[in-house]
Amino acid sequence: MSGLPIVGFVGLSAALLAVGIFGILTRRNFILLLIAIEIAMNAGILNFVYFAAYTGGTAGLTGQAIAVVLVGFAATEVAVGLAIVLALNRLRGSINVAEATELRR
Amino acid sequence: MDVASFAGPFLPEILLLAGTLLVFLLDVVRVRRNEVVGAVTVLGMALALLFVLADLGFAPIAGLATISSGGIDTVPSGTPLYAVTSLGLVFQAIFLLAGLLVALASLSRPSRERGAPIFFGLLSLATLGMLLVAIASDLIFLLLSIEITSIATYLLVAYTRRDARSMEAAMKMYIIGALSTTLSFFGASLLYGAYGTTNLYAIRAVAGTGGYPVLVLLGYGFLIVGLAFKATLVPFHAWAVDVYDGAPTDVTAFLAGGSKKVGLFAFFLVFLGPVLLARTAPSGGPFTNGAVALGPVLQVTLSVLAVVTMTVGNVLALLQKEMKRMLAYSSISQAGYMLIGVAIGTAPALAGATLQMFAHVFMKGAAFLLVAGVAAWGVGPLIEDWRGLGTRRPLTAVAFALMLLSLAGVPLTIGFVSKFVLFSAAVQAQGYFVWLAVAGLLNSALSVFYYARVLKVIFFEAPAPRSEPLGVVAGASEPEVLPAGGFGYGRATAIALAVIVIVAVGVYPQPVLGAIQAAAQQFVSLGP
Repeated sequence: MSGLPIVGFVGLSAALLAVGIFGILTRRNFILLLIAIEIAMNAGILNFVYFAAYTGGTAGLTGQAIAVVLVGFAATEVAVGLAIVLALNRLRGSINVAEATELRR
Repeated sequence: MDVASFAGPFLPEILLLAGTLLVFLLDVVRVRRNEVVGAVTVLGMALALLFVLADLGFAPIAGLATISSGGIDTVPSGTPLYAVTSLGLVFQAIFLLAGLLVALASLSRPSRERGAPIFFGLLSLATLGMLLVAIASDLIFLLLSIEITSIATYLLVAYTRRDARSMEAAMKMYIIGALSTTLSFFGASLLYGAYGTTNLYAIRAVAGTGGYPVLVLLGYGFLIVGLAFKATLVPFHAWAVDVYDGAPTDVTAFLAGGSKKVGLFAFFLVFLGPVLLARTAPSGGPFTNGAVALGPVLQVTLSVLAVVTMTVGNVLALLQKEMKRMLAYSSISQAGYMLIGVAIGTAPALAGATLQMFAHVFMKGAAFLLVAGVAAWGVGPLIEDWRGLGTRRPLTAVAFALMLLSLAGVPLTIGFVSKFVLFSAAVQAQGYFVWLAVAGLLNSALSVFYYARVLKVIFFEAPAPRSEPLGVVAGASEPEVLPAGGFGYGRATAIALAVIVIVAVGVYPQPVLGAIQAAAQQFVSLGP
C-alpha cells in the first residue's frame, strides 16, 4: 500500500479538520456545533485509517483498532453534548450558544 | 495473565469503579442521603489512596503493596498500554487527595441541595480517569483516560441543571473540551503516521527513524495546543475562568485542584522524551529530522508558554473584583509555574513541578472549598463582601489567609518550598532557563499584591452591616446551622487537613520532598 500519496490523504483530513474547526468557531446553534465537532473528530479518525493502510502488517492493525475505538468515543462525547443541549433548552428555551452570556461581565 | 497479577496495578482504579457503581446502585434503590453516598465515595477513595501509598513503599503500610517491586520503574517490554512508574504513583496520590478533599467537604452540603448520587458517582468516575492517566504509557490510552475525566467533569459542572450559570459553564466547557480533544487526537494520528506506533516508550526508541519531520512537528504542535486547553495555559485559558466562576464551587475546587493537573501530567508523559533527548544530546539527538531538532524547539515553546501563562494569569488576577474569578486567574498563573518543570526536564525541576501540583491541591483546592462554605452563608461573590470576616470569623479567616500566603510563596508554607525547589532547579539548569526563574520570582512578587489586597479587606476593613449572623445557611426556608463553625464536619475536616499539610510540609518538607525527588529521578532515567 506504500504507493498511496501521503500528502493527498493528510491534506484531505487536514481540510476536514479545518471545516470542523471553522464550524465550531462560527456556528451559534448547539446542534450544528455538535455536527462540526463530529466532522473535526473524523479528521483524526480518517488519519488513523489511512496511516494503518499505509503502514500495513500487524503494526497497521493498531491504527484500525484505534479508529474503531475512536468512533465509539466520538459517539459517547456527542451523547453527553446532547444531554447538555436538552437541559439547556429546558432551562432557557433556546439552544443558541451566543445567548448564554451571563458569565462574562 | 492471571486475575491477581492483573488486578495488582489496577486495584485503586477497581476500588473507585466499585465505588461509582455502588453509588449509582444506591440511587436506584432510593438511598440518596448525602452522608451515606458521600461516605461510600470517601471510603473508596481512602482505600485507593492507602494502596497507592503502600505501592510507593511508605514504611508502616508497605506490606499492603499490590505491585511487586520489579513491576515499578521498569521499561515495559513490548508495547503495553500502561506502565507503573513511581512518579505516576505520586500523581495518583495527588489526584486521590484532591478527590478526597472535595468528597469530604461535600459530605456537609446543605441538606436542601439535591443530586448527591450524581455528584459523588461522577466525582469518583472523574478520579478514576485521572488515576489511569497517571499510569498510561500509550498515547491513545492517555488521551482516552483524559476523556473519561473530561466527560465526567462536564457532567459534574452541569449536575445542578436548574442553575443557569452552571449550565452555561458546562456548555462552554463542553465546546472547548471537545475542540481540544479533536486537536489532541489529530496530533496523535500524525505521530502514529510518522512513527507507526502510539506507545510512548516505543516512540522514544524509534524516534530518529521516522521519515516525515513535518508530520512529527505538526503532531507535537497539535498535541501542545490540545493539552494546553486542558491544562489552562495562556492563550488557551479563556474558558477556564468562566467555567470556574459558573460551576458549583465544590466542583470548581475539583477542577482547579484536581482535574486540570491531568493535562499537566500529560505534558510530562508526552513531551519529556523529546526534551530529555535534547538535554543528553544537544544537537537534538535521535529526534533530529533534517534541519529541525525537535527537543530544543519544544523547550523554547514550553518556556514561552510558561512565562506567558504566569504573567497573563497574574496581571488579570490583579484586575478582578470577584473572589472566585480572582482565584481562577491565580490558578491559571500557577499552571505556568508547573510547566517550567517540563520545559527544563531535569529531575530537580520535575520534582519542583510535582511538589507545586501537590501543594496546589491543598492551597487552591481547599481555598475554593472554603469559599463555597462561606458563600453558603449568603456572603456575596465580590471580594468586598468579605470585609470584616477576620473579626467575625477569626478561625476561618486565618485558614484562608494561610492558603493565600502559601499561594504567594511566603516562607514556612508549602508554597515557598515548592517554588524554591522549582526556581533553584531552573537556575541550576543554566542557559536561558535562568530567566524562567527570574520570571517566576517577579511573578510571585506580583501575585503578593492581589493576595495582600484580599487579606487587607478581610482583616482591616469594618464588617458590612447585615441582618443575619454568619454561619447560617442562607436562602433556606427554615434556618439551618451546620455544625463545626457553620461549615459542617466534613468541610471543616477537609479545610483543617489542608491547613495542616500547608504548614507541616512548609516547616518540615523532607518526607514528602524526598519521595517526590526520588520518583522524579527514576522518571527521568527511564520515562517515556
